[in-house]
Amino acid sequence: MASSYISGRHLWGSRVRLTRGIRAVLFALESALGVLAVLLLASLTHWTGWLLPVAFLLYLMIVVPTALWCGFWQALIVSLSAVLVHGIVISRQPEMKLASDPVNSITFLAFVLVSLLVSRLSARVTENARQAEHRGEQMRDLYEFTRRTLQLNLHVEPGAQLADLIHDIFGLEAVAVFDADLHRVYQAGYWTQDPLELAQNVYYFETNDDDLESGLGRRVVRLGAAPVGSLVVRGETGPLTNNAIASLIAMTFDRYRAFANESRIETERRTEQLRATVLDSLAHAYKTPLTAIRAASTGLAEMGKLSPGQAELVGLIDEQTAVLNELTTRLLTTARLDGGEVKIKAQPVSVGTLLEEVLASLRDRLAAMKVALELADDEMIMSCERQLIVMLLTQYIDNACKYSIYGTTITVRAERGKAETILSVHSFGPVIPMADRERIFDRYYRSATLANRAPGTGIGLSVAKRVALLHGGYVWVTSDEQEGTTFYASIPDERQKGIGE
Amino acid sequence: MSQAAIRILIVDDELAIRRALRPPLLELGFQVAEASRGEEALQLLRAGGYDAVLLDINMPGIGGIETLRRIRSFAPRLPVLMLTVRDQEEDKVAALDLGADDYVTKPFSMRELIARIRTAVRRVRAPERAEDAPITIGEIHLDPVKRVVTKRSEPVHLTRKEFDILHCLMSRAGRVVTYAKLLTAVWGADCREEVEYLRTFVRQLRKKIEDDASAPIYLLTDVYVGYRFADAQSFQDEPTEALPGEIG
Repeated sequence: MASSYISGRHLWGSRVRLTRGIRAVLFALESALGVLAVLLLASLTHWTGWLLPVAFLLYLMIVVPTALWCGFWQALIVSLSAVLVHGIVISRQPEMKLASDPVNSITFLAFVLVSLLVSRLSARVTENARQAEHRGEQMRDLYEFTRRTLQLNLHVEPGAQLADLIHDIFGLEAVAVFDADLHRVYQAGYWTQDPLELAQNVYYFETNDDDLESGLGRRVVRLGAAPVGSLVVRGETGPLTNNAIASLIAMTFDRYRAFANESRIETERRTEQLRATVLDSLAHAYKTPLTAIRAASTGLAEMGKLSPGQAELVGLIDEQTAVLNELTTRLLTTARLDGGEVKIKAQPVSVGTLLEEVLASLRDRLAAMKVALELADDEMIMSCERQLIVMLLTQYIDNACKYSIYGTTITVRAERGKAETILSVHSFGPVIPMADRERIFDRYYRSATLANRAPGTGIGLSVAKRVALLHGGYVWVTSDEQEGTTFYASIPDERQKGIGE
Repeated sequence: MSQAAIRILIVDDELAIRRALRPPLLELGFQVAEASRGEEALQLLRAGGYDAVLLDINMPGIGGIETLRRIRSFAPRLPVLMLTVRDQEEDKVAALDLGADDYVTKPFSMRELIARIRTAVRRVRAPERAEDAPITIGEIHLDPVKRVVTKRSEPVHLTRKEFDILHCLMSRAGRVVTYAKLLTAVWGADCREEVEYLRTFVRQLRKKIEDDASAPIYLLTDVYVGYRFADAQSFQDEPTEALPGEIG
C-alpha cells in the first residue's frame, strides 16, 4: 500500500539536487556546444563571404538561446568566442579591413547585455515555473496524505502509521511524530540525533519553526488550542506544508481517540447485554427447580403426619426456597432493566394507590415493622411508569427494613416539588459514611463498614438509581445520627429528553 | 364435598414439577393424570373425565395459552388453573381473559394450589346462584337488590360505582378479576384501559370496607393483573393467610 504512490518529488528533486561535479560537466558541455555553433557559423560566413555583414546578428541567434536555456555565464563564453572568432575571420578577409578594436568591444558589450537580460528573464520564468510545480507537488502530496490518513487503520495507534506516511509521501529524510496522550514517539527515516528528545522538546517548549540551515521543521500538533503532540521533519518541505501536516496529524489523533472511545463503549454495551442475557436465562432456569422444591416441601407439610422436627425442617426448606426465589426474581428484574433499551411508558399515576400497593406487596416483610405513610396531597398524581416506580420504592423500603433499628418507624413520604415528585423512605439505622453515599447506588457496591453490612446482593439500590435515571430523575441519600437516613428519588413531571439513556 | 371425586390433569413440560405435585395431591385424595404437552392434554381432555386442569403457561409446542383456547372451545366450564411465573403478567391477563379460572405463580405452595383448585371446582359444582342473591363474606354483607352494603351490621355508604365494583368482585369472590374485566363490567368496554381510574376507586372502597386500608384483607390486589375479593372459605375455618409449612 505504501508503495502505490510514487511522489513526483523524487523525479523532480533529483534534477534539483545535482552534484557539483555534474554541474561543472554540464556547464562545460553547454559552453562547448555554443562555441562549436559559433565556429560553424564563422566558417559559414567565411566561406560564403556575403553573410559577413550580418554575422553579428547571426551570432546573436546563438547567444540568445544559450542565455535563455543555459544561463548567463555560458552566454558570456559564447559571446566572447563569437567576438574573437569574428575578429579572426575579418582579419582573414583582405577586402574588409574595417574591423577595428572599438567595434569589437562594443559588439561584445552588446552581446553581454543581451545575454544578461535574456538569462535573467529566463531564470525568473524558470524559477516561477519551478516554484509553481513545487507547490503543485506539495499540494498533490498533501492531498495524498489526507486521503491516506482517512484510510488509516484506527484499531492500532496512528502515530507509527503517520510517521511512515509522511516519510514516504513527502520524500523526507526523517520524520518524528510525538503522541502526547500515549506518550510515545514514532519515527521514520534516518535520524542522527535522538528523535525522542527532539519531538518531546517541541511539545513541551511549544516550538514552531523551520530551520533552513539544518532543514528541520518543528510543529506543535494542536487540537483547538490544546497541544496533543508534536511533529519534527528533516528534508525539503515548506512551512505551509508542515502546518498542514501538523493539522492532519491532530485530526487523526482526534479520530483515533473518538474511535477508541466508541469501540470501548460498544464493547461495554455488549458485555452488559450479554451479562443481562445470562442473568435472565439463569434466573429462568432456577425457577423450575425452585418450583419443584417448594411444591415438594409444602406438599409434605400438607400431607401432614410429620413429627414436629420434620415439620420444622420442611418449614426451613420452604423458607429458604422463598429466599432463593426472591434473589432470583431480583436478578431477573435487574437483568430486565439493564438488558438493552428500556422504553419508559410514562402515564399519570395516583401516588396514593401506588404507595399503598407497594406497602401491600411488602406486607410479609413489613409485618414486624412500624410503617408510616405520609402523603402531602391525597389526590397527588405523578407521571411515571408505575411498575418501575413500584420497583424503586420496594428497593428503598426493603433496604430500610434491613438496616433500621428494631422498633423504630419507617416513613414513606411523597411530596410535590416545583416540577417533580419527590419520593422518600426514612428510617433510623447506622449512619451511611459520607464516602459511601454516592457509591451505594452503584451495582455490587457494598459498604466496607461492618456496621452497614446486611444480607443482600448489592443490586437493589442500583435498580432504584436506574429507574430514576430512566425517568429523567435522580436519587440521593442523606444520613446522620439525629435525623436518621433518608433515601430520596426525584421524578420530574415531564421526562427530560436524553437523560439516562 | 367429596375429594375423591376430583380428578386433576397436570399439564407441564417439566417432569420435576409433575413429580413434586403428584404425591401430595394423591395423598390428599385427588386423582391425578399427567401430560407434558398441550397437544397431549387436549387428547386426554377430549376423552373427558377430568374435574380440573393445572396448565403450565410456558410449554413447547402449542403452549399454555393456545391449549387453553382449545380447551374452552369444547369445555367452557371445566376449571383451568394456569401455572405461571412472576414476570409473565401479560400472559396471566391473557389467560384470564380467555377464560382461565385462576392462576398460581411459580414457585407456589401446595396449600395455595389446593385451595385454588377446591375453590374452582366448588364453583363449578355449586348450584347456579341467582345473580341478585345477597352475598356475605367475612363481616361484609352485600345485597344487590337493595343495593346495601353492611359491615358488622353497620351500613357502609358507597357511591354507585363503588357498589358496582364491590358487587362485581364479591360475586366472583376468591377469583381474580382482571382490570379490563372489572372496568368493562362497571364502566363499559370503552374504559377497559383506564386502570389508574379504577385504582383510585378501589382505594376509596378500601377505606370504607377495610379496617386498615394499607393492609387489606377483603379487597386484595393481584399485582399487575387485577383485584380479588377474599374467598368466603378463608374466613370460616382458617386464618386469612396461613404461612406455608406452618401446620404440623
